[in-house]
Amino acid sequence: MKTSRISSEERARAFKSARKQEVNERQKLNVRYHVEDFDINDRPRRFLETFAAILKHTNYRMALEHFIRMSAKCSRCAVTCQVYQATNDLKDIPCYRSELLLSVYRRHFTVGGLIKGRLMGNDYLTDEKIQEMAENFWNCTACRRCSMECPSGIDHGLITHLGRFILSEIGIAPRALVVSTREQLEGATGNTSAIPVPAMIDTLDFLEEDMLEEKGVAIKFPRDVEGADYVFFPAVSDFLMEAETLMGIAAVFTAAGDSWTIGTGYFDGINYGLFYSDRILERVVKKIDSETRRLKGKNVLIGECGHASRSAKYFLPTYCGGKGAYPVINIMEYTHKIWKEGRLKLDPNVVTEKVAYHDPCNIARQRWIIDKPREILKAFCRNYVEMTPTGENNICCGGGGGTVSIDEIRSYRTTIGGRLKADQIRRSGCKILVAPCANCKKQLRELVEDQKIDCEVVGLHDLIYKAIIFDDKLKIKDKAKDHEVVEE
Amino acid sequence: MDSMLAFARGPLFRFSLAIMLLGLARILILDLWSAFEAYRRAGDRILPWRVMIGRSLGWLVPIKRVFSNRPIYSIFSILFHIGLIIVPIFLFAHIELWKSAVGISWPALPYKWALWLTVTTIICALALLIGRTISRTSSFLSRKQDFLWPVILLIPFVTGFFCAHVNISPAVYRLLMLIHVFSADLIFLLIPFTKIAHCVIMPLSQFIATLAWKFPPDTDEKICVTLNKKGDPV
Repeated sequence: MKTSRISSEERARAFKSARKQEVNERQKLNVRYHVEDFDINDRPRRFLETFAAILKHTNYRMALEHFIRMSAKCSRCAVTCQVYQATNDLKDIPCYRSELLLSVYRRHFTVGGLIKGRLMGNDYLTDEKIQEMAENFWNCTACRRCSMECPSGIDHGLITHLGRFILSEIGIAPRALVVSTREQLEGATGNTSAIPVPAMIDTLDFLEEDMLEEKGVAIKFPRDVEGADYVFFPAVSDFLMEAETLMGIAAVFTAAGDSWTIGTGYFDGINYGLFYSDRILERVVKKIDSETRRLKGKNVLIGECGHASRSAKYFLPTYCGGKGAYPVINIMEYTHKIWKEGRLKLDPNVVTEKVAYHDPCNIARQRWIIDKPREILKAFCRNYVEMTPTGENNICCGGGGGTVSIDEIRSYRTTIGGRLKADQIRRSGCKILVAPCANCKKQLRELVEDQKIDCEVVGLHDLIYKAIIFDDKLKIKDKAKDHEVVEE
Repeated sequence: MDSMLAFARGPLFRFSLAIMLLGLARILILDLWSAFEAYRRAGDRILPWRVMIGRSLGWLVPIKRVFSNRPIYSIFSILFHIGLIIVPIFLFAHIELWKSAVGISWPALPYKWALWLTVTTIICALALLIGRTISRTSSFLSRKQDFLWPVILLIPFVTGFFCAHVNISPAVYRLLMLIHVFSADLIFLLIPFTKIAHCVIMPLSQFIATLAWKFPPDTDEKICVTLNKKGDPV
């Protein structure tokens, strides 16, 4: 699948840096994202020390050793990379990006490289190479589609992840992610959107009243319920931006009658560690574990968010007890289960527009959840269309890998990162695009706005909320009317 | 020349073969050992075996992959690999050599099949070399060895083709045969030290790429201590 090449005007807009020249000079760094001031001295040495420490305590060496022996430089990955397809810049080929770090590993951490370096006296890691990595690794959306096409099995997403991790340890990481993470791990509010607990509770109270008025049912957001089956961690930004998704989820639980809760001790599923730091990844995952433990919950339930789901599903067992860790379930799995059991009824006459489903990379790439949301959608959306390619071969929204949270690169994301996705949306002709991921939703909304596509981006549970049919016994018939009377 | 040929077919062949086998065994064992160590250290040892095996088989027998991406390159590459594996092992003359060198033998490929497979391999090697040179992306990514390997591999195939299938004078035959055997010995010697080592570790690729995401627990603390960052703010 190919996309049109960007024009010179689009290129200029996409690559325009929001950083001031004086900052570039002060930080000796020329990238498009903002970076907090850091120690600029002796960067190559500090990079190598960090790399060595990470190799010592992790499993990356196994992969790097394998990859440097396997790489065939066939360039199949170039065809699948949506960034390269848009820019046509050879430095955006995933294999080239990986080689930036693999060459450092080969030169400084293998016997052959060390001997060659001694004899030839060249290829020592330089500031220029660090600069190139800092720029190149954040061009990638970490969608890992290229890895699916590599005959050698090289996971370019893993190498980008490691490269970002090392860079972050020497102080080079997007400010937007670092500031949010600092608030989440060390701030007063303890979440990435800096929402104080009283404000979160106010929001939930308000939404409950809204739902009572709209549906005539007492739909609740249970808080701090001990022993609940599911402890819920949405992307915390949903409390600010995705009220309908949250209402849909609460409505589903009300229809099913299962126990769930939101913990006021910690209620953020976002884990930017997956994008740039294993240390952050571990610390955030442990917060989820400890809140679930505090509430004596049985399962960790992640809301509509790809990276939050993947980071919890795959790393809660890693950092919090292996097989004994809490089971992690994505909300779509739960909703599908109760729909299959006949506990969720949906009106097929509510959503009549053409609907398509976007697979979040972090959910579909490992073939985790692909068919379940489609089965639900097809059951009540009469005009459902499929985009191709899809499922594990899906095309990324263009804001993956944490780039969506970097507002200063919006034009890059919507011109280059999401260009192929925009083509795909246009071709499908859908008027409603379902994206069950907070990151994808933000990116796709900006994409359809900037690319002028007539399409509304919603969550799966936004549509479910519209179409849900409650049992009559759940309805508090006069309650809604009473409310109207009081308000009048 | 005859003594050189005897040397190349005899001691040098056995030496090259030994280096290749030992080198490949070393790489395979190192790969398996590091995978075992990574698995042992991993906090989460649940692996998606079905997905990993499915993807591995999908790449070892990449029929489905041919038309998904770069189809012409893929077809040439697959045929090239088939020729590379089958001709050196199943050609009648090679089996005789194996028999005299290591004392074992097996059924040979029919003459016509061997001829066509040799020709196909030569054509594919040339096509891959040309493709790598003219493809903007491949030529940009390629290292020296990526261009050199098709050429090195062509030498024994072309010389072997002339020796086995073309009427040539005995002097030319001996010269070509000498080049043929020496180049084959050189290939054996180089295999473990270059990208051709993928011939033994390729089946592990999907497994290692998946296992690589299975991190060890408590690395935050350990890395902090090593980098002297304990207590530092985010």
